[in-house]
Amino acid sequence: MAYLSMGEAHRRITDYLSCFSAALLSQDGPSLTPLLLVSSNSPLLLSVAHALDVFSEWPRLVDQIDDQVQLFAEIVSPLLRCLQSFRAGQFAEAYVSFEKSANAFLQEFRNWESSWAMAAMYTVAHEIRILAEKADKELALLGKNPEKLQAAGSFLMKVFGVLAGKVSKRVGALYITCQLFKIYFKLGTVHLCRSVIRSIDTARMFDFEEFPVRDKVTYMYYTGRLEVFNENFPAADEKLMYALMHCNPQREANIRMILKYLIPVKLSLGILPKLWLLEKYNLIEYKDIVSSLKSGDLRLLRHALVEHEARFLKSGVYLVLEKLELQVYQRLIKKIYIIQKEKDPSKAHQVKLETIVKALKWLELDMDMDEVECIVAILIYKNLMKGYFAHKSKVVVLRKQDPFPKLNS
Amino acid sequence: MATETKPAAVEDAKIDLFEDDDEFEEFEVDEEWDDKEEGKEGLQQWEDDWDDDDVNDDFSIQLRRELENNEKK
Repeated sequence: MAYLSMGEAHRRITDYLSCFSAALLSQDGPSLTPLLLVSSNSPLLLSVAHALDVFSEWPRLVDQIDDQVQLFAEIVSPLLRCLQSFRAGQFAEAYVSFEKSANAFLQEFRNWESSWAMAAMYTVAHEIRILAEKADKELALLGKNPEKLQAAGSFLMKVFGVLAGKVSKRVGALYITCQLFKIYFKLGTVHLCRSVIRSIDTARMFDFEEFPVRDKVTYMYYTGRLEVFNENFPAADEKLMYALMHCNPQREANIRMILKYLIPVKLSLGILPKLWLLEKYNLIEYKDIVSSLKSGDLRLLRHALVEHEARFLKSGVYLVLEKLELQVYQRLIKKIYIIQKEKDPSKAHQVKLETIVKALKWLELDMDMDEVECIVAILIYKNLMKGYFAHKSKVVVLRKQDPFPKLNS
Repeated sequence: MATETKPAAVEDAKIDLFEDDDEFEEFEVDEEWDDKEEGKEGLQQWEDDWDDDDVNDDFSIQLRRELENNEKK
């Protein structure tokens, strides 16, 4: 790093402090926000960090600032310590300092009548999450308890409470909610999302449409994923479709993520994505699954599940996809029925169990009569097939009118 | 050896806890875009009437052949 004189370091730190103090005093949000971006590579903060290392007596300068905001030193001193630790690669220490600063900031924020500092609050919320993630990685590597992300979650819950309690600040609550979702999904504590969702969805104080679109899209993506885990597919469809249709079209990575969850949902509802969509967003792992649903090729479905097992398990959609098997059985039996009908319409509605067993054997699926009977019973029970099973003669007798009801009708 | 490798595995698992591969990318605070649903036909690429009675695809043709072979036997 370039040489920095004591005098220059002194000047940089004083400048930063004056800007900070002035921004608070004049309630100038756009000037305040860049001063908080600790984890960014902003040239301004990099140069301040360098100056702090050179001028080790900087705390003295904080005291000299003629501040008129009560908690100025409580906000800014730990923030500068955080910056120093962060640049030194000591993330756990950086987190602890940042949390102190953030708490002081929140205390002041609470007292401001208007929402002038909302963007700054967003920055604090985002920074605390990023810092906590880095801190936890460091702690885990050192064999210590990684608990900072959880702590960041507790802090954000406090922020949520402050925002929800004041009409002028409510519009910021959804951003905080989305940061909380990111934390809970990362920690695997998604059940904690529930109480936040309840206050957003049911409380009269929020009008969902009034939130910024970026927060609505993020919120719908995460709540949609939760509905996938709960196997509530119509609700998941609604939420993920909202996210898809309102997402910034330039954000292809986000669109891909939405589709990654939306496609299994649509498949479960009997709706197929066009090949074009899978290719455009590089989701070809779904291609064979879609083909198997169209054709009734059970072997293809099973192969596709095995081939992409790790990926599907990781995103949590494996169980959803596995359940598509029944739809593929339905399709296969329907194909047998149509082929029989072409040959002899009068007997088509009687499908011998043996025929199904043989078709499965051809697909290298070794199943006996009892197993196939069981599958047939489930198909009838689930309304995927209309008819009854003649146990003695081992024949499925299909209803003449529309024996294979459509899923999505 | 076995005792030496164990702690490493535990650590890996711990770090692995902090992963969500599908974390939604952060939008910029001032990021703006056209929020209308119109003009997004590119994303409306779904088929719900695919469940036809067509049995002329490769799979069906092979299936028919298979069923016929069985009858002859």
